[in-house]
Amino acid sequence: MSTAVSVRGLRMRYGAADVLRGVDLEIRRGEIFTLLGPNGAGKTTTIEILEGFRKRSAGEVSVLGTDPEKGGDDWRARLGIVLQNWRDHTRWGVRELVVHLSRFYDAPRDPDELVAAVGLTEQAGQQVGRLSGGQRRRLDVALGIIGRPELLFLDEPTTGFDPQARHEFHLLLTRLAADDGMTVVLTTHDLAEAEKLAHRTAILVGGRIAVCGTPGELAREVQAQSSVRWIEDGRERVLSTPDPSRAAWELHNRFDGPVPGLEIRRPSLEESYLELIGRAA
Amino acid sequence: MNMRALRIGMRRGWAEHTHLLRNRRELAGTLIGTVGFFALMLIWMGDRPVKGTDVSNATFMTAGFLAFTVFSNGLMTLPLSLVTDREEGALLRLRAIPGGIPAYLTGRAVTVLCQIALQSALLVATAVLVGGVAPPRDWLTLAWVLVLGTVAVVPLGAAIGCLLPSSKSGAGMVALPMMLLLIPSGVMFPVTAMPEAVQWVAQSFPLYWQGLGLRAALLPDSMLVAEIAGSWRLPYVAAVLGAWTVAGMLLAPGLIRRMTRRESGSRLAERQLAAQTA
Ligand SMILES: Nc1ncnc2c1ncn2[C@@H]1O[C@H](COP(=O)(O)OP(=O)(O)OP(=O)(O)O)[C@@H](O)[C@H]1O
Ligand SMILES: [Mg+2]
Repeated sequence: MSTAVSVRGLRMRYGAADVLRGVDLEIRRGEIFTLLGPNGAGKTTTIEILEGFRKRSAGEVSVLGTDPEKGGDDWRARLGIVLQNWRDHTRWGVRELVVHLSRFYDAPRDPDELVAAVGLTEQAGQQVGRLSGGQRRRLDVALGIIGRPELLFLDEPTTGFDPQARHEFHLLLTRLAADDGMTVVLTTHDLAEAEKLAHRTAILVGGRIAVCGTPGELAREVQAQSSVRWIEDGRERVLSTPDPSRAAWELHNRFDGPVPGLEIRRPSLEESYLELIGRAA
Repeated sequence: MNMRALRIGMRRGWAEHTHLLRNRRELAGTLIGTVGFFALMLIWMGDRPVKGTDVSNATFMTAGFLAFTVFSNGLMTLPLSLVTDREEGALLRLRAIPGGIPAYLTGRAVTVLCQIALQSALLVATAVLVGGVAPPRDWLTLAWVLVLGTVAVVPLGAAIGCLLPSSKSGAGMVALPMMLLLIPSGVMFPVTAMPEAVQWVAQSFPLYWQGLGLRAALLPDSMLVAEIAGSWRLPYVAAVLGAWTVAGMLLAPGLIRRMTRRESGSRLAERQLAAQTA
């Protein structure tokens, strides 16, 4: 089976508020998938429904072949979960906690290797409560993957990371997805992160998935404008166009040869995103 | 509950117990707040006899402090740790782990047991060394009353923890009724000195029976003149503590399930946000 998560017609309402109004999603095994969307779009709600922490109002959901509302311990053991708000177990030692939580699984990762993999070897003997925000989050990731999950959920995992920690975190996730075939689903507000990390990205606006695909597909879907630059009569010219390939072809024809200083820039995910959110608003 | 969760839970409980021992503030609280206070009371008024008897106040207070230790650990410390674990996310983390919740509850119970055992030992030692109290005359009764009392308060404490809204307001919400209960329960001074109505109220709560059972183990029969019905009523002690155990066992699982089912990341975030802005 190559589908890790399948969601059809997912609806969620809190009282009178319709937060999710028919979400359709298909997440493949082994891919890194990011869920983007403005504050209050329902990303956390969606993820919590997938994790089995929240009852949905309607729709079909299957996570690793099981309905999360009916998932038992065996199903749980195949998931890893990293939340943003954990500040628990402050009196435990870092390594002590990793060892303790590893005991719950049949074939856990080696605690020392894991502590090293998230760069906390130096802090292994320290109390969890004394870790910095970024170190704490890395410990959370370590605890999330301790049971070798097939599927890892992360809700805004890199908020509060310094650039170095963020970079290392990206390397870690990429490695986990590539080496262990782990599926990773994460939410983020950092578009550059989604662009760099994700195989595919979905944007949640107005209770639905507005677009879903690779960064390139997203740009095409949104028809955000690419910019084409060149030099003509000693001056730099810029053209914004949804079809940069056609523009370049026309330029080549006009110059009847190489175009001086020709440069084509695809829209970044950020531009596509802002375009899309602007349109939905 | 599977065996693995039980085993991990026991280790977890022991680990949490050692964390408390290693924590300076926690340790100072136990030593000064419980043992130190007890020692002061012994020195201050331990020599006088309990009114109308030939039993020393020191011996009487030993039973009272032991009873209170069981109750404050089970009905105050335990529920408040449950609330803290909920607020910090420990409960949610364990909910996301197979077998995590049973292990967590086992762990909490084991920690309470260890704490009660340790504090009881310290109290008895202080009584003997500082107060000149004779060692317990009936170890068997002492043991079963302590154990049954602990078993009675653990599920009850867990149930209370599920109902407390937050650690901030929770402390007051459990401490106040405990203090109110302490006065008429015959733990500080003989219940027969109180109006009869108060005696009836006291006898409907487990603290009175816990205290009575401990006095039976520690005090000579000459104390009986100051006890209701002039008897240790040990079968009643067993029956009432047993009844409270059953009540707690019936109440706790549903409340715990409800509490853990409602835990989620967004609830955690909501609470933390509320705590920050408050
Ligand atoms: N338990 C709840 N009861 C009522 N409304 C809720 C509840 N949880 C979430 N909501 C509402 O549902 C909407 C979606 O919330 P959610 O937390 O899923 O958004 P999000 O996309 O994760 O936002 P953010 O980017 O801020 O994390 C919000 O309007 C929120 O107020
Ligand atoms: Mg969120």
